[in-house]
Amino acid sequence: MRDILKSNYHWVTLFTLVILVGLVDMNFWNIESLLILMGDIVPLFIMALGLTFAIYIGGIDLSAQSMANMITVIASLYLATLGLWIVPVCFLVGVILGGISGLITTRFLVPSFISTLAIGGVCYSLAQWLSGNRALYMNSESRDALFGWMLSSTGIVPNTIFVGAFVFVIALLIERRSSLGRQLKAVGSAELAASASGLLVPRVKVLAFALSGGLAALAGVIFSIKLSGGAPSIANGFLLPAIVAVLVGGTPLTGGVGGVVNTLVGTMIVAVIRSSMLYLEVAATHQQMVFGIVLIIAIVFTIDRSKLSIVK
Amino acid sequence: MPIIVLIALVVFFTSLNPNFMSLRNFARIAIAASPFLMVAIGVTFIIIMGSIDLSMEGGVALSAVIFCFAFLFFGGTLASGGWVAIIAALGFGAAYGALNGFIHAKLLIPSFMSSLAMGFVGIGATVLLTGGGIVRIDDDVFRMLLTYRFQGFPLMVYVAVFFLIVGILIQKKTILGRNLYAIGGAEDLARASGVPVLKTRILAFSLAGFYYALAGVLQVAKLGQAESVTGANLMFLSITAAVVGGVALWGAIGGVVNALIGVLIVTVINNGMVVIGLPDYIQDGVLGLLVIAAVILSTNRSAVKFVK
Repeated sequence: MRDILKSNYHWVTLFTLVILVGLVDMNFWNIESLLILMGDIVPLFIMALGLTFAIYIGGIDLSAQSMANMITVIASLYLATLGLWIVPVCFLVGVILGGISGLITTRFLVPSFISTLAIGGVCYSLAQWLSGNRALYMNSESRDALFGWMLSSTGIVPNTIFVGAFVFVIALLIERRSSLGRQLKAVGSAELAASASGLLVPRVKVLAFALSGGLAALAGVIFSIKLSGGAPSIANGFLLPAIVAVLVGGTPLTGGVGGVVNTLVGTMIVAVIRSSMLYLEVAATHQQMVFGIVLIIAIVFTIDRSKLSIVK
Repeated sequence: MPIIVLIALVVFFTSLNPNFMSLRNFARIAIAASPFLMVAIGVTFIIIMGSIDLSMEGGVALSAVIFCFAFLFFGGTLASGGWVAIIAALGFGAAYGALNGFIHAKLLIPSFMSSLAMGFVGIGATVLLTGGGIVRIDDDVFRMLLTYRFQGFPLMVYVAVFFLIVGILIQKKTILGRNLYAIGGAEDLARASGVPVLKTRILAFSLAGFYYALAGVLQVAKLGQAESVTGANLMFLSITAAVVGGVALWGAIGGVVNALIGVLIVTVINNGMVVIGLPDYIQDGVLGLLVIAAVILSTNRSAVKFVK
């Protein structure tokens, strides 16, 4: 029983939060508004999914936000000409730039903290250059024709949730059912051991960063479709919540533990904490401080620290 | 190696625009680098332990705002008792850091997460105190830190140099300094040999908080005001600077002097891009590429087995 509880702390935290907020204001338990809340956080969730792979191998991807920013610009500029192809093209851009971060880290031994931050700077510059440093609007005809469905709902379920669920299932399959998933776990748990057993560690790591970049790009595409436009700093404020979502879900920075399911729960925890402030009528000037304090409490309850002898 | 990168950058920018190598421009670089250096020194103590601190933006902003409020409370001039505000701000910074360290070390939360959350709390508290506004200080005596120049450099630069030396002494000549390296090198060995790990960790974070508060006071001296974005961008920049200067993120390698060189490299790049007239929009990208190049050139790759 204790073991089952231990490996599901993140679920316990999530449900406790939902119950607590609902006790204060019953309106929070409205299924429809909870679904809308989930639909709204899909871009953040997809970015966090990507970050999960980078963090799972013990790295970090700080370029995710700038990547999404740049992609909103690219998507807004080229939606009309590329049509549906915009999605694979943007994904590919993300994969390539993420892969470059990975290559810099593995080939030149630059910590991923620095390499991804630097690639993020490059993305930011590209976004400013491509957009002429102003807000862009999408061609609304093409958007409505190709992606209009994403903004409506099926019954009471916003369609973005299906998009999020689709990406989630693919990420889950990669983690649980592919050899890449096993290799990621090996590299995250013990890189030297993985290397000694013949794994091509650099290749695995580059793939993890490429996935992270690709998913950040996907988050950017969905975000720009939702907003019907893009700008070089429109997704600012995504990076830290996305990292927090991964960590609160229970994927520690040391790697090898946790995974995409944890990130799903972690994203929901972040979303519940944020939206609960509206229900609990926390003043705007108090919100960030409350967020920080609740976060510390949530982390204390979520992480299984019994196996950690050293905490860095 | 990092020092060679620094010299190469100076030569490079000077060759493109001779004005780069002037006392006036060096003073400009020194002013920009002073608060930034304090933050980088603070976080270096943490990185030496193999941990990370992401609370600096909150620490700097909150100390700066508390300093301003205290300064105004004590009459709004240095002569009327405003100097007490400096002590209050630095004391507060050390306490904020200690709390940060306590949450990390006592509650066993990885420092990345605990300090990130404490950063939110710090920024949030700043917004709360200022109501989202700006607090101004216009005491001519206090602003002499920026306006009074000795040998071409403002007084704040000398303050920064003084605390740089203090930092070097703490790192090299104190038990705390030795213990930081012991923990960063092998925490289990350090613990087995009797290093008080918990106490050292909390002290180190407290020391870092003290340096963030110093940065906060210097920012106020530089800008004449404090607000919730007073520490903006310092988080990624200070860690980048430490790594560029040769402090290894996995701990026990590098020190305060490396942080200094790293800060100078990053500031020289930023200043140089403006001096040679690079368009605004490509500066972030160029900074990123140059930072990667600097890290590649300064890493002793034969000594590193793998990198996260």
